[in-house]
Amino acid sequence: MAEKQASDTFHLVHTAIDSGALVQCVRGEGDGAIVTFDGFVRNESYGRPTKYLEYEAYEPMALLKMREIGQQLRQKYAIDRLAIVHRLGHLEVGETSVFIAVSAPHRGAAFDACRFAIDTLKRTVPIWKKEYFEDGAMWADGELPPAPPRAETAS
Amino acid sequence: MLFFSRIRELTSLSEETVEISDGATLEDLFQHYVRLYPKLGGFRASLVASRNQEFSAWGTRIAAGDEIAFLPPVSGG
Repeated sequence: MAEKQASDTFHLVHTAIDSGALVQCVRGEGDGAIVTFDGFVRNESYGRPTKYLEYEAYEPMALLKMREIGQQLRQKYAIDRLAIVHRLGHLEVGETSVFIAVSAPHRGAAFDACRFAIDTLKRTVPIWKKEYFEDGAMWADGELPPAPPRAETAS
Repeated sequence: MLFFSRIRELTSLSEETVEISDGATLEDLFQHYVRLYPKLGGFRASLVASRNQEFSAWGTRIAAGDEIAFLPPVSGG
């Protein structure tokens, strides 16, 4: 694990995400750029007005997978610091569900790393969202994590 | 065993300890729950198993004390 990992932030929270604080938290003296991703609750889903969302997670595994994303970012991109925070529980329309901030000396790495982080999170981190509408509720379709190796045996 | 999302709702379980025979695989454990909750069978193709917080192939053998979950497609973000 790269030594910088120690300064990275991975949290699951049940209250509003303070995005400004996370941006400050990744800002280093040697950096020249910070790229952020702010994912928030849309007011509709496939044309149905959304009332609110409920998020749940397999929390210890989700944190493990978020840390793995951090390790992958450090292998692939010349970044400085990283923060990934996901909110769980009840979220109203417009509230931030996930916030990612990546700092780097140069913008290219920060853009690429931030995109990779959110795309990977949506495929591999065990978090689920249930959408509540006027006339019912349903679990969001979601994405199947990559298939594990076939020939694995007990260790 | 841990249960999340639609699997938690289908079984009305959040977590439980289960005893299964020696040498059982994740698939065997899944079939154990299908016998208890037949509707679960219909979800098989959309689930990924985890063993000790790692995605694991269905043929993986289970050891005593393992933490297992059958995870629906993830939809964070």
